[in-house]
Amino acid sequence: MSDLFGIIFNSLETGSVYALAALGIVLIFRTSKTTNFAQGMIGTFNAYIAAYVMLSLGWSIWIVALLALVTAFLTGIIIDTFIIRPASKVNAISKQIITLGIIMVIVGLLPKIFGVASFQLPRFIASEYSLDIFGATLFYNTIFVIVLSLTLMGGMFMFIQHTKWGLATRVTASDETTSKLMGVPTKRVTMISWATAAMLGTLAALFVAPRVSVYGNMLLTVQISAFFAGTLGGFSTFFGPVVGAYIIAFSRNFTQFYISDIWGNVMVYTLILVFLYFKPYGLFGKKPTKKV
Amino acid sequence: MNVKFLTKIEELLGPFSAKLRKHPNLTFVVFGLLLCLVALLPHLGLMNFGTMSIIAYITIYAVTALGLNILLGFSGLISLGTAGFVGAGALGTAVFIEMGLPFELAVVLVLTISGSIGALIGLFSLKVEGIYLAIATLFVGEILRQIYTQVPIFGGNSIQIDGGIKLLGFIELSQIFKEQRSMLFVLLVIIMVLMMIAMNNIIKSKTGRALLAMSRSEHAAQAMGISLLKYRLTAFVLATLFATVGGIMYAMYFQTIPTTSWSLDLSLFIIAMVVVGGFKSIYGTFLGAFIIHGIPNLILKDLLGDISYIFSGVLIILVIIFYPNGFVYIWVDIKKGYSKLKKRLQKDVTTDGK
Repeated sequence: MSDLFGIIFNSLETGSVYALAALGIVLIFRTSKTTNFAQGMIGTFNAYIAAYVMLSLGWSIWIVALLALVTAFLTGIIIDTFIIRPASKVNAISKQIITLGIIMVIVGLLPKIFGVASFQLPRFIASEYSLDIFGATLFYNTIFVIVLSLTLMGGMFMFIQHTKWGLATRVTASDETTSKLMGVPTKRVTMISWATAAMLGTLAALFVAPRVSVYGNMLLTVQISAFFAGTLGGFSTFFGPVVGAYIIAFSRNFTQFYISDIWGNVMVYTLILVFLYFKPYGLFGKKPTKKV
Repeated sequence: MNVKFLTKIEELLGPFSAKLRKHPNLTFVVFGLLLCLVALLPHLGLMNFGTMSIIAYITIYAVTALGLNILLGFSGLISLGTAGFVGAGALGTAVFIEMGLPFELAVVLVLTISGSIGALIGLFSLKVEGIYLAIATLFVGEILRQIYTQVPIFGGNSIQIDGGIKLLGFIELSQIFKEQRSMLFVLLVIIMVLMMIAMNNIIKSKTGRALLAMSRSEHAAQAMGISLLKYRLTAFVLATLFATVGGIMYAMYFQTIPTTSWSLDLSLFIIAMVVVGGFKSIYGTFLGAFIIHGIPNLILKDLLGDISYIFSGVLIILVIIFYPNGFVYIWVDIKKGYSKLKKRLQKDVTTDGK
């Protein structure tokens, strides 16, 4: 029983992290029409900033987290202005490779700015505060991560569905040229999307950091899982990837624990591939209509 | 410099370039022969063996990227699982040789296995498209990576081919001896030239035209009687075979094969080679491999030290922004600039004449 609940709490936490990252990827995929491979690296970069400031100035995790979110916002804007916008005429595949270029620049910058050592970031709520549910420990921090992620994502969905800016984002996502003709500031929408995606990635990084420490590839698994979540849930909606993220986290943890530590991932991936064969646009995705 | 000088050079090079244009495969052979000279340089003390290994890497990447160019350039499809197949080629060859099979049989087996996985992906691609297909291939890559690192037959961290490669049962080539290493390098160049010629023949044939037609419009291609099933399969099988050959080349030259390095990063780098070098261009692909792997390792590392990584990232971004179809198309710009220069010089001559 304690195992079962342990896995459930764990899956909810990792699922939330995947969901945040996946939401960022979908946001950029929809507005900039590119797969952002650098999502994880941008988050890592800002987590480094948080950890570095914390180590050198001794500020609390809450303040450095806020600071990291601000720098993330700026990183997103800088990347959009100087790299993505000049390349707006470039074809889709080349645009993806531009994000690889961004990864390389950040990977090169990390040791230059922060040195080669890895950093530590503590939990938002220290681990001595925890509940005991059927023998499984539930950290308050886990509750915090889950609740904050769900609230944030719920807030974003409300925002996208019910505000003018959200409408602008949705129309830019569905057809950029027409939206531009209708007076939607598509450039600004794309810019804010990059900034928001960078913040989501950073949040994911801050949530993962206490488990793995802050180092260059800390978000690699998260990033790949976020891609998988997007595919499973479907890239054509904003909530599909979030659902996909939780499904992946749950199925992976359960197969790893109950069936095989080594083959859990492989089984889940194969199942998703088979699923994709029958539903090629994910759980909630719709087939895009194409004119010949 | 005047116009007479330019026309003289053109006259001198004319017959030569006409001949090469007539037999494009000959240019690959000439290119290969030039590259083979690299194998001699370390023995003359003009280069160290490390540099030769970097160039060996470039040939391996060039072959792999050529296969990916069939997908990216000619068919408009993308694969994020390339690294998995390079790994299959390298690790598979090593495992089969360690099991006691002769080298040639190992190669055939490895090619058959990964070719059939490629065919499966091709079938899959009939249903799934765009980013979903790209990430589906990433799933395949991740599954392969998991297998390499977890199954004990691949030796945990790395697998070594003891005693080197035995060609035709009697020519033994080991990485340990310097002369044999040069022989291996020449062998890699030969394979690369053969793959380039094969690629050239594929894209100039009916298959190449069918793939191009499909990438523009599937519906129109189908209306012209092109079978999607057949050519999707062909494209994916070819791409995986090229990648596997790249892996086999890796096994041949380095003979110690790590199990952990066949991840998404490598796949992205190989895509970058196609994108930066040139879509639909064979030399462009080699150029891309040179820019992505060669320039940072051969030049920038000595020049800039550890910021070379930043520099190559910036280089990728700049090349894509200014040459979205690949750096090889700078050739078109050079040609244009040249004819402009010539015209201006000619104008000068005529005005001088008055």
